[in-house]
Amino acid sequence: MLLRYSVGSPYARKVRVFAIEKGVMGEIEGHASNPWDAPDALIAINPLGKVPTLVSRDGMALYDSPVICEYLDGLAEPRLIPKDGTERLLALRTQALADGVMDAGVLLRVEMTQRKEGDRNRDWIDRQVGQIDRPLDVFEKEVGSFAAVGIGEISVACALGYLDFRHGALNWRAKRPKLAAWFAAFEQRPSMIETHPGEAK
Amino acid sequence: MKLRYTPTSPYVRKVTVVAHETGLHDKIERIASNPWAPDTDLPNDNPIGKVPCLIADGGETLFDSPLICEYLDSLHGGRKLYPPSGGERWTALRRHSLGDGILDAAVARIIESRRPDTPQSEWWIGRQKNVLRRTLDACEDEADGLAKGPVTIGHITIGVALSYLDFRFAAEDWRPGRPKLAKWHAEFAKRPSMMQTIPKDPT
Repeated sequence: MLLRYSVGSPYARKVRVFAIEKGVMGEIEGHASNPWDAPDALIAINPLGKVPTLVSRDGMALYDSPVICEYLDGLAEPRLIPKDGTERLLALRTQALADGVMDAGVLLRVEMTQRKEGDRNRDWIDRQVGQIDRPLDVFEKEVGSFAAVGIGEISVACALGYLDFRHGALNWRAKRPKLAAWFAAFEQRPSMIETHPGEAK
Repeated sequence: MKLRYTPTSPYVRKVTVVAHETGLHDKIERIASNPWAPDTDLPNDNPIGKVPCLIADGGETLFDSPLICEYLDSLHGGRKLYPPSGGERWTALRRHSLGDGILDAAVARIIESRRPDTPQSEWWIGRQKNVLRRTLDACEDEADGLAKGPVTIGHITIGVALSYLDFRFAAEDWRPGRPKLAKWHAEFAKRPSMMQTIPKDPT
């Protein structure tokens, strides 16, 4: 299999952590790509030009990150996505919340880096910050019932890691001591250490 | 079940088409919501503050649209819109991602066009236009496959996405150079689920 990813993409990190936790990373050849340049090799397999994009065992191109994780989950035990019922809904809901945090974080990053200071829109910035803050408040309430490791937990951890990497000024740990303690422990997993994006900036 | 919606969200339309296709439409109470209103209570049900948001009979709040569609498809005994496994499933999910990618790029353009006061970013708009062009070309390559297979979540999402382009960017017709996709969409748009969900701007 082949995975096109970028070191800074939280969605790509989710897939890489997931693959490591599943024990299938050895089968995956990773290619770092910068999606902002929309390189030809990426576009050839995914017209959206986004990372992560996985080429499966059968040569199918798969995207986006929830689809890739579901595919990887079927390749080996143990399952990290509950197969059905309320458990599955709740795990995928947690993933959707974390993906929402990533979406808002990426849009906030675009606003801060691609527009001149005077061209930034205060309402838009506040909107993205709200879309980061509220899901994190939910995680603070629910963190006591998190599983050891599953699709929801991996997604939350990668969203938090992205905030540390790009939006340290948001200081998400303030008023969220339980989530902060959980993340400090989860971050020590080899899968998280191996995929760390590097120094915060 | 309750569905928090806006009349013009294409993601809501996707969910609503799924509800029609699965025979569940009558079981869903629709609650009009405005995610852009400063005093919106939408975050009480969806902390991300977006529609669609489904409130299941058990009280669970579900989002985003892929999760809602998968949930609705689990509630009926008819032919499934999500093939259960194998190549068919991945093909359907890949097409679903292509359709959602068209929607994400189109919606990003709409939001950019509504920026008050501050200038629009040509870089950002150009980026979305490139995504749309490439992805529509990829859908043209998929059109024969779309026409052959039974309707899946992939068909619905691409169908809704193309109709959304007609709704919001009618002046930039996507059909020239994409005859097979145009033909497939013309047929797909005649389905009752599509006819019953044609968007109108609120007047």
